[in-house]
Amino acid sequence: MPSTLPDDAEDKNLDPILAKPHALLPFLQLQSATALSRLYQSPSSCLSIFRLLDAVERQLVMNLLWLDSAIALSTMVAWVIQDKKKVYDDALDMLSKLHILHINLGKLSLKANFKTSLRHAITGGGTTGSFGVPAEKDDKRPPMDIEGLDGYSLERWETILHFMVSSGTGQNPTRPSQGVLYLLQRSGLMSNQQGSLPQITSAGFQFLLHPPHAQLWDLLLQYLHMAEERQMDLVEVLTFFFMLSTMELGREYLTENLSQTQKAMLDDLRDYGLIWQRKASSRRFSPTRLATTLTSSSPLLPTSAGTASTSQQGFIVLETNYRVYAYTDNPLQTAVLNLFVSLKYRFPNLVVGSITRDSVRRALNNGISADQIISYLITHAHPQMRKFNPLLPVTVQDQIRLWELEKERLKSQEGYLYTAFASQADYELVLNYAKQLDIVLWENNSKRCFFGTLEGHSNIRNFIERRTSGVD
Amino acid sequence: MSLVVVVDFSPSQWHLSSQQQPYPLGLSVFVSQLLVFLNAHIASRHENSLAVFGAFPGKSVLLYSSADPPSDTPSNDANSFPPFKIVDMTVVLEIQKQLETLSDEDDEVPSALVAALTKALCCKILTRALALPDPRILILSVSPDQTASYIPVMNSIFSAQKLKVTIDACQIYGPETVFLQQAAHLTGGSYIYLERRDALLQYLTMAFLSPPSVRQTISVPTLDKIDFRAACFCHKNIVDVGFVCSVCLSSEYISLKTKFPIKTLQRLNSARPSLPSSTPPTPQKTNGRAPSTPVRSGEVALGSGGLPHSGSIGSAQINGARNGLS
Repeated sequence: MPSTLPDDAEDKNLDPILAKPHALLPFLQLQSATALSRLYQSPSSCLSIFRLLDAVERQLVMNLLWLDSAIALSTMVAWVIQDKKKVYDDALDMLSKLHILHINLGKLSLKANFKTSLRHAITGGGTTGSFGVPAEKDDKRPPMDIEGLDGYSLERWETILHFMVSSGTGQNPTRPSQGVLYLLQRSGLMSNQQGSLPQITSAGFQFLLHPPHAQLWDLLLQYLHMAEERQMDLVEVLTFFFMLSTMELGREYLTENLSQTQKAMLDDLRDYGLIWQRKASSRRFSPTRLATTLTSSSPLLPTSAGTASTSQQGFIVLETNYRVYAYTDNPLQTAVLNLFVSLKYRFPNLVVGSITRDSVRRALNNGISADQIISYLITHAHPQMRKFNPLLPVTVQDQIRLWELEKERLKSQEGYLYTAFASQADYELVLNYAKQLDIVLWENNSKRCFFGTLEGHSNIRNFIERRTSGVD
Repeated sequence: MSLVVVVDFSPSQWHLSSQQQPYPLGLSVFVSQLLVFLNAHIASRHENSLAVFGAFPGKSVLLYSSADPPSDTPSNDANSFPPFKIVDMTVVLEIQKQLETLSDEDDEVPSALVAALTKALCCKILTRALALPDPRILILSVSPDQTASYIPVMNSIFSAQKLKVTIDACQIYGPETVFLQQAAHLTGGSYIYLERRDALLQYLTMAFLSPPSVRQTISVPTLDKIDFRAACFCHKNIVDVGFVCSVCLSSEYISLKTKFPIKTLQRLNSARPSLPSSTPPTPQKTNGRAPSTPVRSGEVALGSGGLPHSGSIGSAQINGARNGLS
């Protein structure tokens, strides 16, 4: 086990946003140019997409935003530090795939509609109304306060997660609505067996250990895929997500200016806890914190039943003797811990357990990887743990990885065994050919046999047939 | 990323700036472009924090801070992003309020830029325990150096270094300032003397919007030459060569009663390095008696690394910013 591994894992976890593009961006890249240019007509969408970009990409967009004419590529490159040319090229590539950037005849400029909308977003003005129409204050029915909204969205969100984590354990938690269940099954997080309760899949277990922000986007992306099948207008769905993300927490908005598609979405989003409505027919809605932090990289998600600060800072203490102390009274967090920790005692505010070979193997069999366990422990580490460097005891980290390797001692692969060659020369000829194609998995010279992959079989058979027919 | 902007609102200097040819820049145009820059900073990331300090004649005021935003939020409309609206309204209202309270005598008083800088360093968004990475201070100045404030400026620079705060500085109008150059250089920031004042927003965006982490990829203008001169403690003049007593380190005749032969002084004077003509002469009073060792020499050239100079932003044209804010 190289000693650098834990550090690397830690670095990746500290800045997951910088490491890879946001989950939504690859989806946007697949959309057609016309769909994107319709999307870019809304200032709030441009602002939200801008926020999802990488820091270098954001700076490039900003550099070009206030220019009226196109700028020569060579001028822009002059500003780039030589060693970082690749980062710059990647950024240009990403921006042009998103149809934000326009490169023509060695000149660089922003697409006109994106430029106009982002300028509008930053300076204000325009008549697009893309930031949502706020409702007048109604004294008789005051809007839900921020605490109430947080409580509501938390309750909805945890219902979903809790339902997932306790499926198959025999408990009967509150079932989320049909729409949510369907989404979970479609996204492959829960299995869909006729006549029985849905069971969590290995993808579902991995999903549970993701940071909350990633979980939310996972589901929303799935929603977007479903929207295409349900004949909903994708641009309107996206516009509405982005509109929600730029809305103000604790304020009520009117539904009147929404399109039919967007009004239909209100029901779904209410189930996920993104918006709150007094009743389903209400003409007003309030976005919750889940919605307004959509484009944030480290979401201030409404937190567990405890006080707001504690669980944001983490609650898990892990000792070198594999003991885990979790300061929580939240059933969901306990249930998630139960996935890879064998729990021993439970107190009103504390859960004690230990990481054992059996508990980790159970998690691994469920499809959870060692890295996911470690990253979960790091993200939710108690503030006291943050004083240590490395944050988690190295012995425990290494042992979890070793347990994972233990599981991977055997690897199966389909293929063909070639044997009974007439002569050593024949054997070597075929073997060399197979090696050139890089399809040899195993060879034994003394027994004159080797094992090739499934894909390479037709090549080898043809080769041998050609040889034999040639000899004849 | 947290950003604290310190803005110099000296009415007399802004008046001069609005009449300076070519490229006049008045206060109102400046404020509208500044607001666009502030919005761009908030737009970059949801969790970015921002504070704005204003330096008025004789006083410094906190104009806006995201750590404690104003309680009375303005009524919202469907065409603007709520956080932008709050920042814009608060900053503009505060500037108006402060400018109205100024009396005529205040015009003579230099603006309290250093006081504002010191307050900025104590600001919650830079010092609180869970501060965001890459804290920065941006100083937008229009006033010349106040030599009396040399020590406070240096103290601010040292505390900025200790807090790992980068100081960026932009001199929009007036002569180059020695102290701001040093502040930017010593904290790893960028200093720009604005040559094309009509392209202010483009300068602000390209040079001062990017956090230090992005500057490792897309560079920002650096200074080829930095003026390292210091102000003498006795007369607050900016000097390139100072003379101090090698025994008591006193630079001044008040504390030093001993007389020194005039020949020594002549010999030392002849050994001085040749200096740029623009630098002011050494204070006359020291000539009488000082024993001495030269302690500082003038401008030091730094390698520019082949990167473009700030002048290359200037060609950019802007007009979007002039659309103004709703």
